[in-house]
Amino acid sequence: MQKHHITAIIILMVFGVMGALAASDFLALMKPDVLHPAATLTRTGWLSEYFDTIKDTGGDTRIYYFDSGEPGATVLLLGGTHPNEPAAFVAATVVLENIKVTRGRVLVMPQACASGFTCTDPFEAYPQFYTIEGKSGPRKFRFGSRVSSPLDQWPDPLVYSHYPSGQQLSGFETRNLNRSYPGRPDGTFSEQVAYAIVQLIKQENVDVAFDLHEAAPEIPIINAIVYHEKCEEVALSAVLNLEMEGMRYSPELSPANFHGLSHREWGDNTQVLPFLMETSNIIQGRLRGRTNVALILEGNSIRYREALESGALRIDYDPNGQPLEMRVGRHIQGFIEILNAYNEYYEDNMVLIGNLPTYPEIMEKGIGHYLN
Amino acid sequence: MSLELVILFAMLAMFALGVFAFKLPAGISLMLAAVVGALVGGEGIPVRHLVEGGFGFLEAILIIATAMIFMKVVSATGALGTISYGMIKSLYRWPTLLMIVIVIFVMFPGMLTGLSSACILTTGALVVPGLLAMGMSRLAVGSLIAMAAVFGEVAPPICIPVMLIGGGVDMPYIGFGKPLFIAAFPAAIFTAVYYRIRYLDSFDIEQVLPRLNKPVYDRHGIKLFIPLVFVIGYLVLEQTLPQYMPHLGVPLIFMIGALLGFGTGEKFDFLKVSRAALRDAMPVMAILVGVGMFLQILTLTGVRGYLATSALYLPEELKYLAALIMPFFGSAYASASVIGVPLVYVFIGKNSIVITAALALMAAMGDLMPPPSLLCAYAGQMVGEKNHFKILRNSIIPIGAAMVIGVLIILYAEELAALFSNTEWIW
Repeated sequence: MQKHHITAIIILMVFGVMGALAASDFLALMKPDVLHPAATLTRTGWLSEYFDTIKDTGGDTRIYYFDSGEPGATVLLLGGTHPNEPAAFVAATVVLENIKVTRGRVLVMPQACASGFTCTDPFEAYPQFYTIEGKSGPRKFRFGSRVSSPLDQWPDPLVYSHYPSGQQLSGFETRNLNRSYPGRPDGTFSEQVAYAIVQLIKQENVDVAFDLHEAAPEIPIINAIVYHEKCEEVALSAVLNLEMEGMRYSPELSPANFHGLSHREWGDNTQVLPFLMETSNIIQGRLRGRTNVALILEGNSIRYREALESGALRIDYDPNGQPLEMRVGRHIQGFIEILNAYNEYYEDNMVLIGNLPTYPEIMEKGIGHYLN
Repeated sequence: MSLELVILFAMLAMFALGVFAFKLPAGISLMLAAVVGALVGGEGIPVRHLVEGGFGFLEAILIIATAMIFMKVVSATGALGTISYGMIKSLYRWPTLLMIVIVIFVMFPGMLTGLSSACILTTGALVVPGLLAMGMSRLAVGSLIAMAAVFGEVAPPICIPVMLIGGGVDMPYIGFGKPLFIAAFPAAIFTAVYYRIRYLDSFDIEQVLPRLNKPVYDRHGIKLFIPLVFVIGYLVLEQTLPQYMPHLGVPLIFMIGALLGFGTGEKFDFLKVSRAALRDAMPVMAILVGVGMFLQILTLTGVRGYLATSALYLPEELKYLAALIMPFFGSAYASASVIGVPLVYVFIGKNSIVITAALALMAAMGDLMPPPSLLCAYAGQMVGEKNHFKILRNSIIPIGAAMVIGVLIILYAEELAALFSNTEWIW
């Protein structure tokens, strides 16, 4: 055997061992997160009930129904559209583990892009899991990718052309659920999941829908409520109420020419009043320092403090950090206030909810206090 | 000295040691540099991160492998030689025009696919024999096709670095045609003219033509070009009519194109050609795996954020030069997504579309830069130059010119925007 053959065999063996070790880590993401819904839960269903093509695929995801039995509005709350935005998923989880609905219905889909929870994004060095101490012990949650797993949709085109607008985006966005609305039944995997969500909104006659998100501090629309033009009054009223509670949210009208997003396409294609909320998540930021779980939980980065001090960037960053409590609290407070504002304008079709922690309560007691 | 700088220096030192002292392949050296970076950064040997980063360029690797097979096939059928022969024979009387046509010809696949590597591996390979036969040095030819590939990546209609920056700032890919044209074509034409003056002496066409591969058009007719027409045609149609064209993926398109080569020209042994192609492509594919690991560790250890933040601290008077660090991320895509996004905000107040186009031009230079020097490595293989850093050294003047053009576009972004109506993106 020649020397270069021995070298090749050694390299292959090293890569084989590395592959086996890494595969075990990757496979760990296939195990679903365990959630403990509130006792008021009336039914658990699946997204595939609205479009059965996605049944038994990575796109199917659980829906938790809380029906008061009293007539009123139907509300849909989505978390986990982008699994690398943990405050969105955790906020939806806190809602489904605590909510009590006394009028109307609330549907919670905590992992809208279930596929994205099964992988992470190359080059981002994201942690795979983070743990929050809950009432019954540690709660370990998956931290996923911004987009659907390539095992479910691959290869990406060089350029993603949105259906039906024809708007072009980079090929990576073809697996982004929040660029795939309104979707189509014979489209890509992500378009089919988007289509199923739109069918859910239509078939359940959803009146108000929320899509929770996070974004890097340098993105202009953080700490914002993005709304479709048909729900401007409700959005502005909620922002005003939040302002009076000392919480600053910037109201952002959904751009009419930016297609594929929930706040645009749900509003254009269904009867629903859509709202998208963003908080500031430094682990998504390009300026972040060492990438680890602390960034998710504590939201503290010396690099962002430096960027803030440099004055070179227009960023929205609290130099004391933006912990997960703060971001989850903002989402839940925003959810509550938008529904309060909705009730002011739609008195004959109200939704009444209770038992959700407020922003000050979450900041005081922590998220774990509200996880079963 | 900050820990991040220590990590970065340790990684670069390991890379240099691997390449120059231990004579290891660049790909292996990059992988070792990634391991060293993780160790210095206190992360141990993060196997999951190394593997995840190593797979980051999987699609690019598949494209390179299949594109190389395709190019070997169309070379074996005689199609490449026939085109190269025809181009030189028809334009040799006007060498400056010939050089400009050659550069735009090489750019063409990149304009359609957004991939610089597609330029070198397809049209770049087509023109190499002709340019060498005209008396240009191997280094000059390699440098010329590498530069043209970069400009092809930037030129409209498809510019992926712009899309990556746009994805980071929620800016749709609308209205970039004219700004990208201004970013790419003046620099490309400058490059063509520069190489014409600097490297192309007068030549006797009667001596050049016999050194080229003989055209085989007379023997095979128009069917000789079926594989090329299919690949270029499908890539164009997939971009322009996505609603009608099934999305096959670029690797499959190249493979179908390669298989279409049977019976269209000279006979060839597919297995032999494929093995030769993969053997040629292997170093570059290994570099991509290594770069992926390298980038992942830069992010894991915080070096990426350190570099991006450092750019913001440049003095006010140097603000316009901040973009000059863009090429040094070693990859157009890495540069666009890491530093391109914050730089759009640094220049907020100016026309964002024009700024982004200029940043894309500067980011694209990253494909030439070490550690991977991807395009130089490709070009080196095309012209038979083992030390691809020599190709980079030969490219310094056109790179400098492109960077100056980029800075000028940023400086005069508002004036240029006034020329292009409807190009302002409303945040």
